[in-house]
Amino acid sequence: MIDIEALNSGLGLLFSSFTPWLIVIPGILIGLIFGAIPGLQISMAMAIFLPMTLYMDFMLAMLFLTAIFTGGGFGGSIPAILMNIPGTSSSIATAFDGYPMSRKGEHNKALGIALGSSCTAVIIGYGMLLFLIQPISGLVLKLGPAEMSAVILWGITLIASLSGAHLVKGVISGLIGLLIGTVGYSEAGVARGTMGNAYLLDGIPAIPAMMGMFAASELFKLVNTQYLVTDSSARKVSVKVIFSAFKRAVTYPWIILRGSAIGVFVGAVPGVGSSVANLLSYIETKRKHEAPESFGKGNPAGVVASEAANSTSEAGSMATLLALGIPGGGATAVMLAAFAMHNITGGPQFIREQTDIVYAIIFANFGQAFLLIALGLVFIPLLANIVKVPMTYLIPSVLSLAVFGAFGLTGNMAGPVTVMVFALIGWLFKRFDYSVPAAVIGILLGNMAESNLIYSYQISGAQWSYLLERPITIGIIILLFVSLLGGKLVSMLTSRVGSQADA
Amino acid sequence: MTRSLRLNNHQIADLTVLFGLLSLVLWYFWDAYNASTQVLNLILIVPVTGLLLILCLIEFISQIRNSDRETPALDPVSSIVPVVSLFALYVATLPWLGFDVGTFLFVSLFLWLHGERRWQWALGYGLCFASLIALFFSEMLPYPMPMLLLPTDY
Repeated sequence: MIDIEALNSGLGLLFSSFTPWLIVIPGILIGLIFGAIPGLQISMAMAIFLPMTLYMDFMLAMLFLTAIFTGGGFGGSIPAILMNIPGTSSSIATAFDGYPMSRKGEHNKALGIALGSSCTAVIIGYGMLLFLIQPISGLVLKLGPAEMSAVILWGITLIASLSGAHLVKGVISGLIGLLIGTVGYSEAGVARGTMGNAYLLDGIPAIPAMMGMFAASELFKLVNTQYLVTDSSARKVSVKVIFSAFKRAVTYPWIILRGSAIGVFVGAVPGVGSSVANLLSYIETKRKHEAPESFGKGNPAGVVASEAANSTSEAGSMATLLALGIPGGGATAVMLAAFAMHNITGGPQFIREQTDIVYAIIFANFGQAFLLIALGLVFIPLLANIVKVPMTYLIPSVLSLAVFGAFGLTGNMAGPVTVMVFALIGWLFKRFDYSVPAAVIGILLGNMAESNLIYSYQISGAQWSYLLERPITIGIIILLFVSLLGGKLVSMLTSRVGSQADA
Repeated sequence: MTRSLRLNNHQIADLTVLFGLLSLVLWYFWDAYNASTQVLNLILIVPVTGLLLILCLIEFISQIRNSDRETPALDPVSSIVPVVSLFALYVATLPWLGFDVGTFLFVSLFLWLHGERRWQWALGYGLCFASLIALFFSEMLPYPMPMLLLPTDY
């Protein structure tokens, strides 16, 4: 499975000089900063710094860009934990327990444990990639539009199932999100739901909508609060606690391993993977945990599960990029542009002919994980001071930051207006127990769900029997029903067995 | 024995939100249907709208049947009205006031409204924050941002 000669050559490329590591350090820092600032995206950082890679060797260019990717992957969890703003869709589940931990004054612990699980998972994820790059890419090739549609629906039902007693409202939220995601021009070339507004022809900007629903709506709720952490003694920033929580991450080996496996395999699915992987890992961990009711209230296991999956989904998306030349999202699309700038085409031929570079990229990511530990431990204590800022100052600052970031994403006023409108919708959803995460995932994936349904329809010739030829699709649909109704069925069966035993 | 239906304010608001969402869904379906009746246009919208109709009906019945459930303690709506209004005003006036002056006014006014009576602090923080963030973003973004005083492009 491993080509030893190419492995030696790859290690030689990496360790023959110090230059590759000099490039990696600023890359991680750029990623951390862009990830930690709400509204600035990892793909934006990579696009801004892409021209710098033009005069680098191809391998150095890839190391620089993957360093931004790695730093940004963890950076996105910092606002998720401290401000309930997931930096990317792949850190949505980090906010579920990370933010409640912060509000309880456990921000040091949450950040440390997120860093620990992220770095451990990056090492595990790229370790898996080293051995499994060929099988993963083979698996991705078997996924057609029917499977993609099923994965999207699965993602939405997974998150809706988190709504507990409000399951119906959870599913309603996810489906409404799906419809919102289809506003604008359809594949058939007609405009829907635009109300004659030219800004809406391209659809509703998903990331500003996410920022509005998650962050701005939460800030509206906190307007009568003095500090993010109510207890003044719990507002301390402690490097000791961060470091001890960082070490504590390895006490969750099974959660990290499960999250890593989910991250690598689900993360490899183009476009959908990273958004779904963290949710899937979170839900699986909650399902298997001895106290599932503690999730969503500040259980560190939730942060570990989400971070393990979102950090390794980077490795999964790299597998698809390197082995098939298919970008899974914005960040890998920028990397594909770097491939083109260096006249290199990703795919089976690239893996066959440039195996040493593939190994060098994988081993560089092991090194990046260790550098991320060092840089993260320096930066986290600085960023954690946010809990000491009075809400009177924090609320207008974060709202303004969201508005600037939203403008940065759209390039026009559609972004800020979207933040405003969706902040109100998010506030309304939270007040009446509709699921904000389910709606956000729906908005993010609505357009993709529709496109994949259309492709399936066209490929199948409108024949339902086509589904019977797609065992993976059937498998995912079964999983979808199990995740939605499994818990209820088990409790019904248990109560029936219990009542029979009593009789 | 029949039970009289009594809903409190929160439950009425909850039902109003449900009907509001359902109306939006139906309007969107109607708009998409009028735009084109092709399968390619409605392939997702029709089944999702159908499912939503069923789910909204289930939720409606559940809310009516559980009308005696306890209402959660919530902050009064009036507590967020000033913040929401100020934020909406900030976003609406950005094209004219620019990101620099608009942000300065928004942050300073917010601080004043929430009890910061040291006007030097309110104005000083607003000025520093708005200038730094406006300069940073206009430097980083590849397109010009609306500004009133600061340069629009770098």
